[in-house]
Amino acid sequence: MKKLQFLLFLFPFFFTSCEKEKIEGPSLNDLFADLEILEPLSVVGDSVDFASGDPIYFTASFSKQLDWKIKIEGLSSGSVKIILGKSNEINQSNSTWLGNSSSLPFFTNENCEVELSFEMDDTTIYNYLNIQVEKDYQNENTVLITDLENNFNPNFTGFFQSGCTRALAIGGAGQKDKYLAQFGTCDWDWLIGYVDYFSNFWYDDKNNMINDPSKLYFNIMIKGDSTISSVTNLPNSLFKLEFYEDENGDNYHDANSEDRFDLEFEVNWTGWRMVSLCYNDLIPPATNPGNGIKQPDKIFKVRTLLLANPDSGPARADVDFLIWSNGAPILN
Amino acid sequence: MLSPILVQSQVKSKLWYDGNSRVIFNRDALEGTIKDIDTVSTRSNGGGSTVLDLGFHFTPVDDIEIFSEIRLKNDFGGMWGNKSVVELRRLSAKGIVNNKIAFSIGDIYLKQTKFTLYNYEQELSQYEPSVFNFYRDYVNYENYYQSNYHRLQALQTNFSFNMYNFIEQLDFDAFTARVRGVEWLGKPELLMLGGSAMVRLSNKINLGSHYVNTFEVLSSSNGTVAYYNPVLNTQISYSGSVNDNPYKMLIEGGFSKRGWDGDSLAPEVKGNFIQASLHSKRINGELDLGFRYVDSDFRSMGAQKRRIQYNNSTTTYPYYSNNYTQRKVSLLDVMSDPNVYNKNLSTSLMSYNPMYSSVTPYGDATPNRIGFTAKISNINITDFFSTNIQTQYFSEVIGQGTTQKRMLNKSALQSILLLNKLLSTKKSLILEGSMNLETVNRAGEDFEKIDFTSILYSGSISYELIKNFKIIAGAKVFYAEGNEFIADRDKYDQINDYSNHIYDSKETILIAGLQHHFTEDIYFTMQYNQFNVLDKTKTYDEFSLGRLIFMFNMNL
Repeated sequence: MKKLQFLLFLFPFFFTSCEKEKIEGPSLNDLFADLEILEPLSVVGDSVDFASGDPIYFTASFSKQLDWKIKIEGLSSGSVKIILGKSNEINQSNSTWLGNSSSLPFFTNENCEVELSFEMDDTTIYNYLNIQVEKDYQNENTVLITDLENNFNPNFTGFFQSGCTRALAIGGAGQKDKYLAQFGTCDWDWLIGYVDYFSNFWYDDKNNMINDPSKLYFNIMIKGDSTISSVTNLPNSLFKLEFYEDENGDNYHDANSEDRFDLEFEVNWTGWRMVSLCYNDLIPPATNPGNGIKQPDKIFKVRTLLLANPDSGPARADVDFLIWSNGAPILN
Repeated sequence: MLSPILVQSQVKSKLWYDGNSRVIFNRDALEGTIKDIDTVSTRSNGGGSTVLDLGFHFTPVDDIEIFSEIRLKNDFGGMWGNKSVVELRRLSAKGIVNNKIAFSIGDIYLKQTKFTLYNYEQELSQYEPSVFNFYRDYVNYENYYQSNYHRLQALQTNFSFNMYNFIEQLDFDAFTARVRGVEWLGKPELLMLGGSAMVRLSNKINLGSHYVNTFEVLSSSNGTVAYYNPVLNTQISYSGSVNDNPYKMLIEGGFSKRGWDGDSLAPEVKGNFIQASLHSKRINGELDLGFRYVDSDFRSMGAQKRRIQYNNSTTTYPYYSNNYTQRKVSLLDVMSDPNVYNKNLSTSLMSYNPMYSSVTPYGDATPNRIGFTAKISNINITDFFSTNIQTQYFSEVIGQGTTQKRMLNKSALQSILLLNKLLSTKKSLILEGSMNLETVNRAGEDFEKIDFTSILYSGSISYELIKNFKIIAGAKVFYAEGNEFIADRDKYDQINDYSNHIYDSKETILIAGLQHHFTEDIYFTMQYNQFNVLDKTKTYDEFSLGRLIFMFNMNL
């Protein structure tokens, strides 16, 4: 019986060996401790050649886990790339950059300022890097319609109202040098003008496009001026994209029997912005005579339209770099 | 026409009565600096009521008793019955089947072990001087607190087997309770199922197993999420004696699981506990030693209920000062206000105020604690001086937000001096004093350090002027100083954030008056109370209150 008593007495002490090593809840260090920079911000892979696929990444470490932001700004182009993270260390896995932009225009061959800042701390750290060769967005997963660098293809037909402008402009483009300026005032019609980009005149072969509408993205750079109508108090410029399919392969879109899919939106920003949309997200017009199936391989043409309320005055939406991308938006 | 008479003549029913009656009236008035600077609040206010809780015990046959308790209440200030209330306070039935199986149904009181189903006392109530008992009786009675039982709507049964072999006796107990009913377009019905099996192997060894499962019945709502919380507790006890001094060893351990079926965001947590205790009784006192380990993920809905809800609005001066500040629940409300108390169980850990309870806010079932307890009770140093002492030392099992762990201490001391025996006088003259201390410390860097102390000094004196008629006086002084981190938890008890609270406060309660006991359970008291709450951090204005109170209490 004494052995039993001894065992009963010892039993709880065996149990204490089950002590856990983790902590409960978020770290107090992360929430309340002062930030210390343990390792300064460094650039790994400076003077990078993005066109050949070389990456660049950053390293730094801190005394606590927190939200950080790396902002890379091209000193010539003004392009900006933002990298966000939450960790106590910046390394290759969370800061690799392949030369793309978060906001347009694209980076060029230039020097860039790198700024590291923190959400809950005023500390800001700067560094610099150089881009030897800018990123080439054209690859096996893209189909370029036009980047307008070889001037405007006259086979891309269209119509602009009298007094409204569609013109090739040089300098200040979203990508490289040239872009298509579109602006004007039309007080008798919603349409300012449109351009048809026929698929058989695209820069790249459209057969490289993936034929899965849920994985195919249309990308277009649009430069707005954010003009607000004094009449409606809404952004003045409307932009519409129309995708025409040639379902029977007769090299002609029959509006009475074949599909068209659209998307319309306000141009309520100033400067360049990349608009990317999944082909699956397009919607047919109210009366669609086709089979209703989105078939990217049967796209006949892409029409871009600049629209505005006739009562509201001038509208503007310049365009550049129309490109399809497979799998993800072009800037991802 | 004769049949009712025949039925009546065949069943010799008995009806007997019991109950409680209380008359309470109090008038509160602002005092001190707040009386001058607060030009918005009323200078004073008063209220009270007469309450009669009449219990009817009806026994239609010998083995059945039906009990109902009707409350007749009349608030002072009402005329012609416009503030009179008649309500059903309790309804239950109990009986025995064939003198073997006992059962109870209706509003009944249930208790199991300290880790499965237990209603722990409110904080700062231990070793409270007896002159404050009338407030404690009032608060506990109004909230249906009967010792450590939970009042639930339930069905309960128990039965025993006596055996003559290796097992001497088997006791079984089972219950099912409806914790929460059906809500229209709301949460599902919440039920509690429990059972106990006790095996007496000999006069010395007992084995017991207790199980409680609280769960939501998904089919009772149109929701898709259902809560569950099974808890198992197994005990073994051994009784013996050394040199004719009896002792009892108890070891218990168990497991819990808690989660929400159908909610992908809800984690399922599993926790365990173990407790060992040794109780020894001698002529001049009793000794209790214990060891306790409760996992940080141990969850038991029936044992982790908290009585006080610090977010509740106080009855007296819920708002004060010209800024119309909500007055926080303080010691005066903990002592005297039934409305800051809670009668319900919660599926998540209820919040607590570390100022008043930081070491074991959920009693012995407080998660994330490992440590030792010691208690020496009824130490009769002389025939006129006795004392009780208790201390508990704990550490966290795992650190909260840091690898550093809190070190916690809770100690209490009580002494009773029978001055009439010392002075050899016939009239009762009793002096009582007690102290409750809590400390919390955590080492580490400046941002994670904790250094918190709270201490409550209580004292009282009562002198018998004439037989059973006493003049009484008492005081409580409470200090809280230092800092403590309060964890902000989501509905799944997961910690999202912390707030570091700085405490530097002093609360004072003074009472003086007269008290007469007709019997032990029938008494009246008339007193003047003075309360002061001073927050030295200047976050809240100082609050001072004077109260004249009369209470007549009668248990029939």
